[in-house]
Amino acid sequence: MSFTTFVTDKAGLQKFYEAVMASRETYAPVEKFGKFDFKRVARLSECDPVSPIAKTLSIKPLFFPRTAKVMKYVATSAGTDVSEVDEDPLAVKRVILGAKHCDARSLQVLDKVYNWDYIDTDYQKRRENTVIISTRCDKADTHCFCTSLDYDVENLDALDVLVVNGADGKTYLEARTAKGEALLGETFTSDAVRVTKEEAAPEMKKQYDAFAASFRLKMDYKEVNAKLAKIFDTPEFENVSGNCVSCNTCAFVCPTCHCFKISDEKVKDTGVRYKSYDSCNNGYFTLMAGGHNPRPVKYRRWRQRAMHKFVYYKERFGENLCVGCGKCTISCPVNISIFEVVSQVSAAAGNRQ
Amino acid sequence: MEQLLVPMICKVDKVIQETPDIRTYRLTFREEGLMDQFSYLPGQFVEFSLLGSGECTFCISSSATRKGYFDCSIKKAGVVTADIHTSLEEGDEVGIRGPFGNWFPLEDIKGKNLLFVGGGIGLAPLRSLIQYCIDNRSDYKDFTILYGARTSADMCYKDEIKEWQDNKSLNVVLTIDKPEETWTTNVGVVPKILEEVVKPVIENTKVITCGPPIMIKYTIQSLVKLGFADKDIITTLEMKMQCGLGKCGRCNIGSTYVCKDGPVFTNEQLKSLPDEF
Repeated sequence: MSFTTFVTDKAGLQKFYEAVMASRETYAPVEKFGKFDFKRVARLSECDPVSPIAKTLSIKPLFFPRTAKVMKYVATSAGTDVSEVDEDPLAVKRVILGAKHCDARSLQVLDKVYNWDYIDTDYQKRRENTVIISTRCDKADTHCFCTSLDYDVENLDALDVLVVNGADGKTYLEARTAKGEALLGETFTSDAVRVTKEEAAPEMKKQYDAFAASFRLKMDYKEVNAKLAKIFDTPEFENVSGNCVSCNTCAFVCPTCHCFKISDEKVKDTGVRYKSYDSCNNGYFTLMAGGHNPRPVKYRRWRQRAMHKFVYYKERFGENLCVGCGKCTISCPVNISIFEVVSQVSAAAGNRQ
Repeated sequence: MEQLLVPMICKVDKVIQETPDIRTYRLTFREEGLMDQFSYLPGQFVEFSLLGSGECTFCISSSATRKGYFDCSIKKAGVVTADIHTSLEEGDEVGIRGPFGNWFPLEDIKGKNLLFVGGGIGLAPLRSLIQYCIDNRSDYKDFTILYGARTSADMCYKDEIKEWQDNKSLNVVLTIDKPEETWTTNVGVVPKILEEVVKPVIENTKVITCGPPIMIKYTIQSLVKLGFADKDIITTLEMKMQCGLGKCGRCNIGSTYVCKDGPVFTNEQLKSLPDEF
């Protein structure tokens, strides 16, 4: 299937966004206290589709809520009554506007764990019903390293509609999937010009090359994968994790971290079961009743975090569990960088050989 | 995912106080007909909810060859299990999800000598397989059960062990850690009794072991010393779990999901895992 590319200007793009918002439930970055989170919006003026990446939370909560009700129940001596919660508000047909490329990619990574063996049908429904419009960044942020990882940022097909602000001042819109094609077909009614891929390619390439040249961070992920896989026992993990305060923020803001906990909250006879974010950095994460804990110390938990992202998930599902967005590093209260952690440990592994 | 986390309601049919800190809960599904549909194999586990207190992972300690119920044997060890011991009685209701996980390699052990080595509450998962094998006794050759506990009072399934002892086709060896006045048989830790009393035949024998982590470690060392191949030593791992569905990430050891790829592993498989369990 070949997909359409349009050329328009800033006003044409705005018209497109407004048409989208008028026809579908739309989520977009909304500013609050200087930070952007994806919220339901009705008008373009409420949001910023090109919010700065360093200040924008990921789209993960729209697919994997921070806290979700699993069920409600009444448990008394007379018996137990379990009722399912109300309809899933995230499963409706919707558009996400202003997702970053790394956000879009994170869904491809998460698809693997949610779709093996037991299928997470809630996640799947949310995924199927969502169209993602993503503007390609113009410049990498300090902690970005998406172009160093195992996905093709330029030709990403995890997003449905690509928006590129060309160096020529024009705006390019490209459908990348059938869902994106359908959305463009239904809502793009401005005076934009339909162009061929070849006509759009030079400007889009120019924009990508300038973006790709702006990265401070570069890594050879294959080397990191290979070296980490060989170095389970190394004091280097203690060195890199020493400052960690086990606050778990890195996992909570990470677009690919997916560990969760199940907890019950009961007042008198009525209770709610929740599923909410958890993190392997928690000391109690693997603590068993009776006291046995396979990861009782911090460096082991950091080793798990680094290895899960760059070795174990890759072994199991074929992808790095990292999209190079830098959110964990930006949010870390003690300035630990996942990029530095895996770079330093794998460099140490290299030195030992 | 949220839907997969909603449990079915089960009724507690019977509570058996096995030891001062272990109780067996005999359960049936509240909804008619569900019990017959609940099929599981020895080694599998369930997620067991005391609603309001929390959800815990327990192996099923009975065999589906015994119809009409299933058992969970629960040792008082943490917050939820303490609540269970304090408040869960006959007629009460609990939430159950499952069965989850893999099971003992039933095809591999057919036609073999069986040696079960259990310690403490570790007999619970073995009991499921022991019952299954007793109910299919002609499929197996020699059948030995070595079971150890700290004291005679700490032995689980005392009545059932008597039945096993009375069964001429089973060889039952019991041991406790320290001598007691009324105890007339073996005294000593499980690996010692394994080497000095049981002296198992190596050839054509499958060993299935479970107990406290330290016991498993030394038992496996003894078995290897005795000459057992890693693939013939089978154990079931204790690991923190929550979802049971290969999603929540808690039971990961390396790229392995203990809740899906396990909890049953051969020693050969355990050796390929990072040393973190």
